[in-house]
Amino acid sequence: MSWLQALIIGVLYYLSDAPWFFGEGYYVLQRPIVAGFLTGLVMGDPVTGTIIGATINLIYLGHLNVGGSMPSDMAVAGYIGTALAIATNVSTEVALAIAVPLGLLGTIWWVGKMTIDSFFVHWADSYAAKGDEKGVMLMNWLPSAVMMLVFKVIVAVVILMAGVPLMESFLNVVQGTNILHALEVVGGLLPALGIGLNLRAILKNETMPFLLVGFLLVAYFQISIVGVAMFGLVFALIYMQMNQKEDASYGG
Amino acid sequence: MAANVENNAVQETDKRIKLDKKDIRRSYWLWQFFSHANYNYERMQGGAFAMCMAPIIKKLYPDREEKIAGLQRHLTFFNTNPNVGAVIHGAVISMEEERANGAEISDEAINAVKTGMMGPMAGIGDALDQGVIIPLVVALGISFGSTGNLFGPLLVLIGLPIILMLIAYNCWMKGYSLGSSAITAMLAGGRMKQLIGAAGILGCTVMGGLVATSVSFKTAIAFNIGEQAFDLQSQLFDAIMPGLLPLGVTLGVYALLRKEKFTSIQIMLGLVVIGFVGGMVGIF
Repeated sequence: MSWLQALIIGVLYYLSDAPWFFGEGYYVLQRPIVAGFLTGLVMGDPVTGTIIGATINLIYLGHLNVGGSMPSDMAVAGYIGTALAIATNVSTEVALAIAVPLGLLGTIWWVGKMTIDSFFVHWADSYAAKGDEKGVMLMNWLPSAVMMLVFKVIVAVVILMAGVPLMESFLNVVQGTNILHALEVVGGLLPALGIGLNLRAILKNETMPFLLVGFLLVAYFQISIVGVAMFGLVFALIYMQMNQKEDASYGG
Repeated sequence: MAANVENNAVQETDKRIKLDKKDIRRSYWLWQFFSHANYNYERMQGGAFAMCMAPIIKKLYPDREEKIAGLQRHLTFFNTNPNVGAVIHGAVISMEEERANGAEISDEAINAVKTGMMGPMAGIGDALDQGVIIPLVVALGISFGSTGNLFGPLLVLIGLPIILMLIAYNCWMKGYSLGSSAITAMLAGGRMKQLIGAAGILGCTVMGGLVATSVSFKTAIAFNIGEQAFDLQSQLFDAIMPGLLPLGVTLGVYALLRKEKFTSIQIMLGLVVIGFVGGMVGIF
């Protein structure tokens, strides 16, 4: 891990919650699958980065950012977790076990940012009172952008430069013990949480059979997820057609 | 509905200050980029609402006092789903335009549209994008990406923003052309509910498949029954149904989340402890 690589990963980490990618940073750049791919590019191995990022992303599949709360910082898990995993050459399940605590740490800065940003909106107030619309617009992005860029780059560089040697010595210590296997078990279990969280948002008693059909298609016939999505699309179309018939009968 | 819109259009023929398509688009892009640029506890997206309205206010109100009032009117608390919620901005712009041209629209009326619509739009929007569209696209991306296929991350990186921006842009323009009646039009005939229902079916099917491919959980317990060696995983669980344990764990997590007795963080820690201890002692 060079300083330059750490710096670029820090900037990418900043961009994942910044306006500059069509305002879609926190929808797209934050996803560990994208983070893993981009980090892999920086580290010279986009394929490994994508595989690790895809695995980490499983836990955050049901990530809901509702009403300004953030349950976990998946961007730090994606960018820094992938970088540490590539640099120390660990399995994807172990990478997942590293990424989770990193993601939990991220909630700390979120609270700080949401609080400090409250002051900047008062700066916008004073520009509004002067009728200066350019000032109002500027206050909505500049102060927060400067603050977050500096903060996130520093955090990423410190964790990455200190984390790689730390992890290497940890891996030396646990060599030959059951610990890596135990971490892999944890890594296999955690995606259940990501899926469970998403199910809380969309699963109802009426849609339970569809969940089971999707599961059985893969469990028994090893159909790809794209194939499962095709079946899902057909089910959705059938549902819409049945509802349309009802509407028509009301009209007639 | 259509007849009403036409009537409004006839009444608005002698406008003094008319916004053109470029103004509406510019305002949209300001929101698209900066909706969460200064997201904060006190006003949430309030600063961003003011930011995207600022050029509109400047054009509509040449009078300094009116301009100040307009900027302050939109620097208030605001929080909604940035994509589907864009219908609110469109509606508010059309209300501001009418107001600047002499229509009797009070501050309260504009505030009522904003605060009244932001909750329902957040509910519908979050259910649609964070609940279904994003997990679906990301799940497809993961299924490609986990085998090292770079199409996976590229699908999320390029495909997802295009889908979300198409929703946001269309909602924005719909809001502007329908004005304050936009919300009733959007909810008319339960079409939105039907769409979310269909999307939920698609989402649940894919999530079911994902349980089988992504959650891995096996027991290593084996013992002898009399002289016969018995492997719990291959001879019992796999014999009943492949992936029985992952399905059980996932539905268990879902049931715990649904009861709201435990937070997701507590469940995560529980999974970590169970998996780690079980892995150390050799049960899993």
